Amino acid sequence: MKKNILEIKNLTKYFGQNKVLHEVNLSIERGKIHGLVGANGSGKSTIMNILFGNSVISETGGYEGEILLDGEPIRIRSTRDAMKYGFGMIHQEFILIPDMTVAENIKLTRENTKKGASRILGHELSYIDKAQDQEDASSVLNELGFSIDCSYLVKNLSTNAKQFVEIARELDKKNLKFLLLDEPTAVLNDEDSRRLMDVLKKLASKGTSILFCSHRLHEICELCDTVTVIRDGNIISEYQKENMSIPALATDMIGYDIHEAVQKPRMIKEESILSFRDFSVQMPGEQLHGIHLDVKKGEILGLTSLSGHGKLAPGYGVLGIYPSSGSILFEGENLDLSDTGKTIEKGIFLLPDDRKNMGLLLDHSIRENIVFSGFYGKHRFSKKLFGPFSVRDKKSMSRYVEEQIRELGIKCENMNQKTRELSGGNQQKVCIARAAAVRPKVLFISEPTRGVDIGAKEKILDALIRMSREQGTTIIVASSELEELKRISDRIAVLCEGKVSRILPPDASEEEFAYAYTGEEERYDQ
Amino acid sequence: MTNRSKLPQIIIASFMLLLFVMAGFLKMDIPELIGDSFTKFVMNGVLVLAMIPMINAGAGMNFGLPVGIVAGLLGMCMAIQFRMTGIFGFLGAVLLSVPPAVILGFFYAKILNMVKGKEDIAAIFIGYSFIPIMNFVWTVIPFTNREMLYPVGGEGLRPKISLEHYFGQVLDKLCTVKIGGISIPLGLIGFYALIALLIYGFFKTKYGTVMLAVGENERFCQLSGIKINRVRTTAIILSTVIGAVGICVYAQSYGFVELYNAPLSHSFPAVSAILIGGCIGRRAGIFHAVLGTYLYQTIYLLSAPIANAILIPQMSEIVRMIITNGIILYAFLKQERRKRS
Repeated sequence: MKKNILEIKNLTKYFGQNKVLHEVNLSIERGKIHGLVGANGSGKSTIMNILFGNSVISETGGYEGEILLDGEPIRIRSTRDAMKYGFGMIHQEFILIPDMTVAENIKLTRENTKKGASRILGHELSYIDKAQDQEDASSVLNELGFSIDCSYLVKNLSTNAKQFVEIARELDKKNLKFLLLDEPTAVLNDEDSRRLMDVLKKLASKGTSILFCSHRLHEICELCDTVTVIRDGNIISEYQKENMSIPALATDMIGYDIHEAVQKPRMIKEESILSFRDFSVQMPGEQLHGIHLDVKKGEILGLTSLSGHGKLAPGYGVLGIYPSSGSILFEGENLDLSDTGKTIEKGIFLLPDDRKNMGLLLDHSIRENIVFSGFYGKHRFSKKLFGPFSVRDKKSMSRYVEEQIRELGIKCENMNQKTRELSGGNQQKVCIARAAAVRPKVLFISEPTRGVDIGAKEKILDALIRMSREQGTTIIVASSELEELKRISDRIAVLCEGKVSRILPPDASEEEFAYAYTGEEERYDQ
Repeated sequence: MTNRSKLPQIIIASFMLLLFVMAGFLKMDIPELIGDSFTKFVMNGVLVLAMIPMINAGAGMNFGLPVGIVAGLLGMCMAIQFRMTGIFGFLGAVLLSVPPAVILGFFYAKILNMVKGKEDIAAIFIGYSFIPIMNFVWTVIPFTNREMLYPVGGEGLRPKISLEHYFGQVLDKLCTVKIGGISIPLGLIGFYALIALLIYGFFKTKYGTVMLAVGENERFCQLSGIKINRVRTTAIILSTVIGAVGICVYAQSYGFVELYNAPLSHSFPAVSAILIGGCIGRRAGIFHAVLGTYLYQTIYLLSAPIANAILIPQMSEIVRMIITNGIILYAFLKQERRKRS
């Protein structure tokens, strides 16, 4: 038996012309937890996808380099290959079938079958031995220190329970040698994260090797025996447990020291600009069930919830993208939500979370994108030609765009470059410049830092703070990144199951937030 | 230009050159062929331009071109009924076909807005189901000019109405210039250029750029407060009007107004032509339409006499079918591939 269970040699991957992995070398010891940290777009998910044979890889031309498992060179072409070699993966988004029971999910494709029937009908067509499946499933879950009735349907489980079911499914695989985890704690609260980490430690001590991918550096430091930092597809550094530290990891991850954007505490007038009254939105997966909320003029209001609990819905509802009921008061007047154009003209604007599909014209230039909403929605950047005819004022457009590129630090060749070619962070900056050009009174922005690396993240948060300070824009930020919300918001509204569970000041304790997230605040108050 | 014309255009262009060379070997009248190629090009050109607004607004290929064509036919029939002749007869026919085009285009747009994402297939069937309705209309419509009606019985429009006494070939013969044996129909080309310029200009205006943006990303435009369906409706009406003008140009050149099932035969060649010009998916420019129409029509023009000369008379029709339908299929495949990457 070799000491290293997995060795990766000169792993290289291209997406089109882009080289996303540059001759990566990585070796992972048997029964150890190896951490992999990197900013978004650094290539860590690509490594995971290669190891688990994700079809994204084979569809884009496969990979170059060698992967040795137990010293044997292997070639992973599909997920089926990866499973055969003993890889298991736990995804950030659950890959579970909601209408099946816990046991069925765990045992799917590895069901126990009734012996007699399978002798006649063959294994594939045989009857499933449900009792045996349930027994197997609950024994695996017990091993994880998690007891739940295996006959429950998965769709009725809480988020963290689903995560455990997913882990149990991987552990139930008899040939599991190597477990890949992609940001597994992103959806868990602190308590459950800790429980997960205990389980992982126990697993490792039994001989399963683990590759753990996370951007929560404190978890990495606590959990991992070794950690590799990857940046722009290059391995930057490797640390052993003894000399790991959060600042060192963070610096390696982004390559320079970052300045954190922070909103200093300030006085906000009591006057409210936007009021939600019993406001419901039918947004699939993010239902909102009758919220009451007053947004104060000039504030930055953080809006957070676990995913699926409705934090994204208010913005989409107000802009009329999804059907809604209840009423909205804007500056004291009832707002008609059916006409999005009117709403925008009155001064409400939204930057969506799904940038690529809703937030950008990918085949248009940076300039066109930035001026679009201001020009068409608010008639800015135009000059009168004669009568009702107005033409675009190219000079003022270019001046504004240049100014924004400089101020937000948009990395691009020039303003005529297509936004498709920009990185996630720079695309988001383009979106923010576009919103700023509309000069809204109220700006909804959803997941402003999703898919954005740390450096760009701070620029974006800083831009929001500046917008609020300098233009007096009221900003409603819907985000799952509580840490960021705490830094930039004046107040944070926590939603749970589509209702406002609590409104907290940014300096409230983690515990208070945790209770608010899970809707258990009544218990906390008592 | 090099980055806009890709491999398929190069292949087709070289095929066209090969045909010219073969025609030369077969001792055909090259200058006359070139002159004819201009006429053929413009004759079909405006119909191809009718693709552009719809593609750019993201409403798919204008497979429902017969809708616009029918409007044009109505316009021409009215002009004949009023016995309008000469160039003013032609312009009158064009003007008279605009109101029916706007009305029909509006309903065409209503339907297409209901079947977002499946416009192409819906438009094909709108064309196919609209023609039988019109077949009925043509037989009962109360026109009285004897030259339009069936000679026997005197009721119902005849399938082929001669324009000889009205505005047949008025554009073709307007300002023809002869340069070295090649006669160039300046009037015809001028009219085409005018329409093309108007379309080009339209897409430079504020409303035109909104249309382009709607074609690229509807959700984005919705979030910028643009009324998507209204923009799409405008684009579809515009396409229908251009289609109506297109059939007027075609008919004056051909010399006959063709009613009944004839409109159906125009949509696939027009779609094909713009695709040959290098338009895939959601952006179409004047350049695509011009290049595509010229390549498509010239190949058609050349292949017929050449095939006849080397004694396989059916060959030209076969080649044309392969090109027309093959290129549409090719474009769909290419679109799908782009979606995935």
